Amino acid sequence: MLARRGFGRRGLLKFAIAMTASLALPPGMATAMADNLAKARRQSVIWLSFQECTGCLETLLRTDSPTIAALIFDFISLDYQEALMAASGSAAELTLRQAVAANKGKYLLAIDGSVPVADGGVYSLTGGKANVSMLEEFAPDAAAILAIGSCAAYGGIPKAFPNPTGAVGVEDVISNKPIINIPGCPPIPEVLSAVLVYFVSFGRLPELDDKKRPVAYFGTTIHDQCYRRPFYDQGKFAKSFDDEGARQGWCLFELGCKGPTTHNACASLKWNDGTSFPIESGHGCLGCSEPDFWDQEGGFYTSLAGGTGPGWRDAGIAAVAGIAGGAAASFAARHKTPKPMPETTE
Amino acid sequence: MKDFDFLAADRLVDALLMEVADLLQNLLSHQRAGTIDLLGLPLSAACLAMLEERLGGGEISAVLHVSGESQIRETAFPGVWWTRHADETGRVAALMIEVAEVPEIMRASKADMEHGLRRLSEVTNFAQTRPAI
Repeated sequence: MLARRGFGRRGLLKFAIAMTASLALPPGMATAMADNLAKARRQSVIWLSFQECTGCLETLLRTDSPTIAALIFDFISLDYQEALMAASGSAAELTLRQAVAANKGKYLLAIDGSVPVADGGVYSLTGGKANVSMLEEFAPDAAAILAIGSCAAYGGIPKAFPNPTGAVGVEDVISNKPIINIPGCPPIPEVLSAVLVYFVSFGRLPELDDKKRPVAYFGTTIHDQCYRRPFYDQGKFAKSFDDEGARQGWCLFELGCKGPTTHNACASLKWNDGTSFPIESGHGCLGCSEPDFWDQEGGFYTSLAGGTGPGWRDAGIAAVAGIAGGAAASFAARHKTPKPMPETTE
Repeated sequence: MKDFDFLAADRLVDALLMEVADLLQNLLSHQRAGTIDLLGLPLSAACLAMLEERLGGGEISAVLHVSGESQIRETAFPGVWWTRHADETGRVAALMIEVAEVPEIMRASKADMEHGLRRLSEVTNFAQTRPAI
């Protein structure tokens, strides 16, 4: 199958070398991973979307190493995903039941979105069926469950106070299945790719931490990997988003950066094909891969040390000023008399 | 580089070279290849440059064009290879010291050779049916 796609043994081995490096596995496992991938049957993945914004799926479709599209063709069989599949209505429901029956006990159940459980779960339905009922129906026959994104892992933004839908994470509903959490809002796509490849290669989930996250990617904090860390050690902090410290690229701790308490791989894997990550773009980490990040004490702009930071008032003024400035510029642009085209001379 | 940084890098490089020596001894005694994943270690760019310089250059270097470019270079120590794998975008996906007679990725696999043989026979058939000039 891989050879037909122009993917020889060397290509597979190189892919496995990159994956073992990414997963922090001993380099010697690359050969075994390549051998297993060459022999592996395509892994059935059944993906259910619950109370979510589709941001997780959007970001995962844009990963480049390896592309989800390549994974779909080479290593996994995405047997059900409502947003991507052509079928709809009763045909889609039939597809789901057929996929579950054909891969009983073997499929990976991928979930994005939180599970609303208040009032019998009526706040999010698919085909008239509550998300929580679907989870309880399809989890028992899964080999393992992937909770993709902070909503599926911990309840995420739908769980934020006052949580009117009673949103919870997958592990609050299912407790007797192997579950891996890949949190983030959105999660880093390369992490999902690597987890899928690991499962296809070795038939089990990689090593997890106490929050069921893969240790290879969530074993250290953003702060420990941050390129601004030397400024923290030297006590050089930006005090506002436009002061001299900010311009010099100093540490954003006093502006509320949650890097020291946030476990994720943003600082090493980065985003958009390795272009940058939020801190590199000048904003502190929001801590989106930690439970209840939206409700953390003090909010996004209060320092972890309890300092005031710029505070909501200043941040709000800055935001309002920015919006007003943008609106004024936009208004001026729309109402500006167009300049005459310069005359061309032969 | 400041004196302090230089000394720290020098000691790290010494430690890595001792590990390379252990792997080479293991290869000679037990025919077991070994690898050091350099991206997984907290090495500065200066430290990596020093390590590469101390290992030096050997007789063989190869470039693989497989899902991006891979550079494989034997160091001044036979059996010790400096390997750098980049992806299609040029980003370094793996940087390793391999201790082996030949790095695994350079070997032609049986399946690939069988596939090549079929393609070769197609070329040969084509050549036989080609009209004489």
